[in-house]
Amino acid sequence: MALSTIVSQRKQIKRKAPRGFLKRVFKRKKPQLRLEKSGDLLVHLNCLLFVHRLAEESRTNACASKCRVINKEHVLAAAKKSRG
Amino acid sequence: MADHNPDSDSTPRTLLRRVLDTADPRTPRRPRSARAGSCALGTLMWLWNLRGTGLERLRARRALLETASPRKLSGQTRTIARGRSHGARSVGRSAHIQASGHLEEQTPRTLLKNILLTAPESSILMPESVVKPVPAPQAVQPSRQESSCGSLELQLPELEPPTTLAPGLLAPGRRKQRLRLSVFQQGVDQGLSLSQEPQGNADASSLTRSLNLTFATPLQPQSVQRPGLARRPPARRAVDVGAFLRDLRDTSLAPPNIVLEDTQPFSQPMVGSPNVYHSLPCTPHTGAEDAEQAAGRKTQSSGPGLQKNSPGKPAQFLAGEAEEVNAFALGFLSTSSGVSGEDEVEPLHDGVEEAEKKMEEEGVSVSEMEATGAQGPSRVEEAEGHTEVTEAEGSQGTAEADGPGASSGDEDASGRAASPESASSTPESLQARRHHQFLEPAPAPGAAVLSSEPAEPLLVRHPPRPRTTGPRPRQDPHKAGLSHYVKLFSFYAKMPMERKALEMVEKCLDKYFQHLCDDLEVFAAHAGRKTVKPEDLELLMRRQGLVTDQVSLHVLVERHLPLEYRQLLIPCAYSGNSVFPAQ
Repeated sequence: MALSTIVSQRKQIKRKAPRGFLKRVFKRKKPQLRLEKSGDLLVHLNCLLFVHRLAEESRTNACASKCRVINKEHVLAAAKKSRG
Repeated sequence: MADHNPDSDSTPRTLLRRVLDTADPRTPRRPRSARAGSCALGTLMWLWNLRGTGLERLRARRALLETASPRKLSGQTRTIARGRSHGARSVGRSAHIQASGHLEEQTPRTLLKNILLTAPESSILMPESVVKPVPAPQAVQPSRQESSCGSLELQLPELEPPTTLAPGLLAPGRRKQRLRLSVFQQGVDQGLSLSQEPQGNADASSLTRSLNLTFATPLQPQSVQRPGLARRPPARRAVDVGAFLRDLRDTSLAPPNIVLEDTQPFSQPMVGSPNVYHSLPCTPHTGAEDAEQAAGRKTQSSGPGLQKNSPGKPAQFLAGEAEEVNAFALGFLSTSSGVSGEDEVEPLHDGVEEAEKKMEEEGVSVSEMEATGAQGPSRVEEAEGHTEVTEAEGSQGTAEADGPGASSGDEDASGRAASPESASSTPESLQARRHHQFLEPAPAPGAAVLSSEPAEPLLVRHPPRPRTTGPRPRQDPHKAGLSHYVKLFSFYAKMPMERKALEMVEKCLDKYFQHLCDDLEVFAAHAGRKTVKPEDLELLMRRQGLVTDQVSLHVLVERHLPLEYRQLLIPCAYSGNSVFPAQ
């Protein structure tokens, strides 16, 4: 599947969705339910967007507190904000 | 056909001419073949004159005998052209050659071809030994003689394209190809002879070599002579990095006794050595992003680590242990290689603060691990080695030393006694701390490594194994899957992250998945279904505010998912009035 090209961070991000993992998680949590074929891709999309928002928020928090490193407090605050 | 150059004993052309004049065609089959035969004889003659040894004569004869295709004739003529630079001697030899019986058995074309093939391209390029005296004028002369001699001579002066050969010789197209091949071969041989011996016996030897080359299949001898030219695929052997590293270690490590000491207290004596060289192969696949991998490992290991170790270690113990380990590691750093240590200093300086912060965690983990027992220290040791490797790829010796050294916290006494000077305090202490940083994440992979290593200590690379030997079914693949999203998190964040922050991200993801599944269940139940469909997902995203009236789900799919997934998700019309995926 598609591997991202080299980004500024010299990191290669796999853009593959861990479909097996998602299916397994869903099965574990809700064994009575069934997930449709491309449903896990949308779940993956949802996760991506969630992680993206969380990262942005954490980054904002870290920059606000003038830290060069993202702390767990930043992440915690971001999570609280997004979840309410 | 008078002799145009009376002094040119050397030109094969002249020899040929003489042969043509004097000798009667051996094979009275066809005029051109007869001519070719005489020319073949002439080439034979000059060949032999050049070599001047019976051995070459024999070889030349063998060459002639072996090659039997008429197509090689023109190739042979090319050899003649090449060989003209050599001094050919007397016609008497040609007579002698003519007298030889087995020449007659071959077609003249084949003979000539063989000669050409076997003649080493020492001709033009092998100057010194044979005959310098091949000035350009002689080259010019053959061109003059071209007209008289016909097709063969046409070829002699220059390497004209095969098309210029006598049409009779080149009627079938295959011949051209063969000629070209022979030309190439000759070129190869030429280069071969050039490269190998320019001097005296080079002549004979190159001829021999070329003769040998042409005897066998053309490709094979080239490979024998010049591996670079070999057309066979090179035998690829997986690099035994472990052996290599082991050798490095054996040679590089100054105090072998210390290494032995390190490995002593552990129940598995080979823990030290396999750890050492196994950690090193991990270096290549550990990228430059130490934070990432440390985070990844940390997340993976934090789970099992927490499970394994008793969480309540007093701080002072950890401090003491950490320092002991540090000292030990420092000792090793100093002993093993100062240079490599310095190399590590620089990259470490960047993350000094992080190192400081993480020291406590490391210390805790270290102490915990030491407390747990053999498994712990072994893991720590491997973790150390692992982290050492990731930290400073260049300093292999250091990693090796540190690996066994740091882990032997239990036998600190012996180890520390062995470790002499912790020379430069600060940078090396930072180094050590940095190394210890990854103790936590490393033990998880280290454990896997350890489990595999005792089984096959000689194997360098092990397939990625489950990280822990603890609760396998639930946590490990779960953590492995979550790590994918954690990596994405740190990628999106574009800032360095703490390990604790990544753990927090993991927890958030866990909670998120839980919420997600609950919501989907509710939505599906609301629609009276037991299967979660994409409509439920869309509703979920709408509720989250990701999908609005302006931004539809398909837009998001297009933005964030790769093409293959897009094709699966967004219905698209294809030829034949079909839509995929079917709606």
